[in-house]
Amino acid sequence: MLKVLLVLWPSFVVAGIAEGVFFTVIDPRELYLFGEPVHFSRLATYSIGFLGFWIVCAASSLMTWFLMLGPSDLNRPRGRQE
Amino acid sequence: MTSKPQVAPIEFKPKFDEESLYEVHKKVHPRAVSGIFATWRWALVWITQLIFYGVCWLPWNGRQAVLFDLVERKFYIFGLVFWPQDVFFLAILLIISAYSLFLFTAVGGRLWCGYACPQTVYTEIFTWIEQKIEGERNARIKLDAAPMSARKFRLRAAKYGAWTVLSLWTGFTFVGYFTPIQTLWTSTWSFALGPWETFWMFFYGAFTYLFAGHMREQVCKHMCPYARFQGVMFDPDTLTITYDTERGEPRGARKKGVDPKAIAKGECVDCGICVQVCPTGIDIRDGLQYECIGCAACIDACDQVMDKMDYPKGLIRYSTEHAIEEHWGWREILGHIVRPRVVIYSVVLGAICVAFVWGIATKPVLRVDVIRDRATLAREVEGGLIENVYRLHVINVSETGHRYSIGVSGLQGIDLASERTIEVPAAGAKSISVQVRVPPESGKKGSNQIYFDVKSLADEKISVHEKASFLLP
Repeated sequence: MLKVLLVLWPSFVVAGIAEGVFFTVIDPRELYLFGEPVHFSRLATYSIGFLGFWIVCAASSLMTWFLMLGPSDLNRPRGRQE
Repeated sequence: MTSKPQVAPIEFKPKFDEESLYEVHKKVHPRAVSGIFATWRWALVWITQLIFYGVCWLPWNGRQAVLFDLVERKFYIFGLVFWPQDVFFLAILLIISAYSLFLFTAVGGRLWCGYACPQTVYTEIFTWIEQKIEGERNARIKLDAAPMSARKFRLRAAKYGAWTVLSLWTGFTFVGYFTPIQTLWTSTWSFALGPWETFWMFFYGAFTYLFAGHMREQVCKHMCPYARFQGVMFDPDTLTITYDTERGEPRGARKKGVDPKAIAKGECVDCGICVQVCPTGIDIRDGLQYECIGCAACIDACDQVMDKMDYPKGLIRYSTEHAIEEHWGWREILGHIVRPRVVIYSVVLGAICVAFVWGIATKPVLRVDVIRDRATLAREVEGGLIENVYRLHVINVSETGHRYSIGVSGLQGIDLASERTIEVPAAGAKSISVQVRVPPESGKKGSNQIYFDVKSLADEKISVHEKASFLLP
């Protein structure tokens, strides 16, 4: 559970900050998606933007967690669980 | 002769305690407590939640008083309207919040955590519901251990049901700060909610439920960054919840009213109530710990026990490291509040607050952006005049609609060949294309500085003097 928290929570916080800064500076109507102006409602763009930021940040946190695994986690014999 | 090489076993020691990442969590069932600090906490629960659940329903000038209208990109806070260009104020507000937190923490420890943090406030409300439905601490522990029965199912269903209703209401209120809540209310009941409004309502509701109902102190212990760095804001004169070891130890049980000296013991009767009431499940007698959220529940609980024992109150109390060492009273503690750290925080905080208020008070109610039309730089029109075309983006930040006059100056014979007024509704913005004409001999070749003057027809004081450049071929 705590592992999940360590990945999802910091990424949530950072995604919130990123969302705030990004959309303060950029109006969703100025965005282009595959060369076409974004046609979603602003609320949808904000929401998708937030979830997108969250996923990206979570990927980063997940990698941090992965690289923090100690030798004892990695040195276990092949095929043995736990 | 063959012998097996001797290999010294190398003991592997992990660099950091990996076990702690998989902490086994024991559910904390805090015992209900009453007393002066519990009263304070409930007062703050009421104040903060009346504001949160109530303010979104207040009307103002025919709109919602406090509305962070994301769709229109405008924030309304009573009489003030903030545009994305005003993000500066938000930044200052964040700095003010941070400095206030530093100041309060340096003086009074984790006052925020103990009384005002939403995590504390919602946990308090959720625990209260739990206690009303499932009973006091012992009854809840027993119920947890009991196998599923009709009674347990009924109690659990009631508790989770009540939590769900409260969480959904919280989610609804939260979304109501971003979408007009009256519309939200009617569309909820006609099942006409937008997909994203519905999503955020359930998202916020679900997290309220999870954090306040199930995770509780885990949020403070594992998720809150503040809990981890508060230590650097503490100094030996910071008020914290302190157990007076000298007075309390050696602890031990005894009969009511026994003089501790007669039995060679301290005043702690080791009843363990301070541990039972602790929402994070720690023993304050082990000293200051990062898990302590400063809620003072143990103070209230211990004071009641001290009263029963006819001992003076305050075995656990708000005190400072210095005060405990030097046996100071309140006079000396208060005398040590003024110290360099506190003075610096206060001065900086005061200065930023003044700047903030001044900035809001003198916030312009009219903004004009001048954008040169890049397609046509300069062209000659009838009468040999040279024409440049601009776009004026006029933003009316005030609460009333205005008609503005547009003027231009800076070159001999300069004049407009387009509309001279523009009407902009309250808290609205409009763009207008303006043609400016100048006789060719009135300026130098290349760029010349000119000025646009946009003035409200109703109020001369509302005006903007904006620079632009005029190109002469």
